[in-house]
Amino acid sequence: MEESKDDIIVIEGLNKSFGEIKAVNDLSFKVKRGELFAFLGVNGAGKSTTISIMCGSLSRDGGTVIIDGVNIDERPDAVKSEIGVVFQSSGLDKQLSVSDNLKSRAALYGICGEAFKARLNELTDLLDLQKLLRRPLGKLSGGQRRRIDIARALIHKPRLLVLDEPTTGLDPQTRKTIWRVVEKLRRDEGMTVFLTTHYMEEAADADYVVILSEGKKVAEGTPIELKNKYTGDFVTIYGATEKQIQSLGIKAERRGDAYRIAVPDTAAATALITAHPDVFTDYEVVKGKMDDVFLAVTGTELAGE
Amino acid sequence: MNTLFALTKRNVKLFFKDKMLFFTSLITPVILLVLYVTFLAGVFEDVFRASLPEGTSDKLINAAVGGQLFSSLLAVCCVTVAFCSNMLMIADKTNGARGDIAISPVRRSTVALSYFIASAFSTLIICFAATAVCLVYIACIGWYMSFADIMLILLDVIVLTLFGTGLSSLINYFLSSQGQMSAVGTIISAGYGFICGAYMPISQYGSVLGHVLSFLPGTYGTSLFRNHALAGVLSEMENLGYPSEAIASLRDSLDCNVYFFGNSVPVGAMYAILGGFTALVVGAYILLNVFGGKKRKNKLKQKAQ
Repeated sequence: MEESKDDIIVIEGLNKSFGEIKAVNDLSFKVKRGELFAFLGVNGAGKSTTISIMCGSLSRDGGTVIIDGVNIDERPDAVKSEIGVVFQSSGLDKQLSVSDNLKSRAALYGICGEAFKARLNELTDLLDLQKLLRRPLGKLSGGQRRRIDIARALIHKPRLLVLDEPTTGLDPQTRKTIWRVVEKLRRDEGMTVFLTTHYMEEAADADYVVILSEGKKVAEGTPIELKNKYTGDFVTIYGATEKQIQSLGIKAERRGDAYRIAVPDTAAATALITAHPDVFTDYEVVKGKMDDVFLAVTGTELAGE
Repeated sequence: MNTLFALTKRNVKLFFKDKMLFFTSLITPVILLVLYVTFLAGVFEDVFRASLPEGTSDKLINAAVGGQLFSSLLAVCCVTVAFCSNMLMIADKTNGARGDIAISPVRRSTVALSYFIASAFSTLIICFAATAVCLVYIACIGWYMSFADIMLILLDVIVLTLFGTGLSSLINYFLSSQGQMSAVGTIISAGYGFICGAYMPISQYGSVLGHVLSFLPGTYGTSLFRNHALAGVLSEMENLGYPSEAIASLRDSLDCNVYFFGNSVPVGAMYAILGGFTALVVGAYILLNVFGGKKRKNKLKQKAQ
């Protein structure tokens, strides 16, 4: 696999087994700088294992991992300084205050004293942490803790932010807040975001998607490419009678007051509409969703949707 | 250095804020206090009255019983508190904090050292506080201690704390689950008071058990405390002209004299045994962390090639 300066992550032939179980199986992919990269798969597909290997906290059985042009075997500390991780489960200390947590984690990167205060102020503004700083982490709500996890991941200004199911179990308002912050980081700082999620609408906004199944890459591309390749379009007709629908001679699914027809692609939808202008007076054409892509590629649906 | 300081500060704060860890560490001293209040003090008082000439003042007998309690309390505190405070090393592995620290560029040896220093520091705080309380108690019931005795007791606290911290660091290095943590905590809390001779003098045990316990460094730690906490009392008895045989017998029964297969171990040798064993376990702990890290890095490189 060729490495370009545009790529912040290059993974080639990655393998990892836990006993008999092959968690990651000859996995190769690249992530471009500044990209929102979605890494999808059901639980146990190998997503978190791959992330742990990228972060240098888990050994691998084979393959190459290059982060920001640095091989993780050559200069692991340099790689670790470039990555910020929001884990599925927080690794922060529940008994300590938010401020103490961030202070102890900042020190791991050599950020102390005035430098820490300055960074804490930036993160407080970005994530609206002012009222939380003195409170013990264990007393915060799930959404508030997630914001602290993000602050911890950003404490050393990483170039690559890894979000391992960051919004699972959160209310819509908090999810929105988190995505607002992520978008701001991408826009203002050109940060690359590596995302795993169970929410397909979040994956649909990604620049590039890789889908894993049983440790193997089973599909990759932009969301549109994947939709075009693995799902068709759907035409929804409003205000048509059952007789009119039957006259089309194709299978239609009733959905409330409307009928939905699956077609192979947008060209087929256009042909159908222009052939029956009397039936298609009020209609919409939509592409398949990422859920349909995931189902078509892996044969399973993601939990948590 | 800043990182080490910040991590150590975090570990100390966590120990004192984690109510379970903190109170667990005080279980053995509390058991000892309960035993003394309920019957041990009475038993020792009867023994002293029986073995000392009639007319011995209550003040002297109380000082002897108090010195016994004082030395027993410190002997268990220095080790059990060190073990419990060092449990943080295992707790961090089970609650994800170690994983969170591992994704940063901090050295494994720095993290290991921070646990050691924090555990020793927390233990010293508690043991010095216990020493102060005990000195006030002794002053109230009968004071015969010299300034040198107090200084030597403080030295004993430091030596035995380093021994407890070193031993617990080495043992905890291999533990990684909540179950293992509970098992070790329970064994130490329940058993250490017996095997170090805090609940009952080793001289009261059978000869086989006495020989076995003479191989354990903790035995000499208790004896050091006995020697220095009771030195004033025994010296006063000499001044009062009590028979030297009776005093020698008392020294044996109180474990001021410890015998290794019939040979009395001098105080200097006790310090050497404790210091040597501490150096051994701390050295092993350092080697495990240094070579454990190098071995892991080499394994990663070999697998990647």
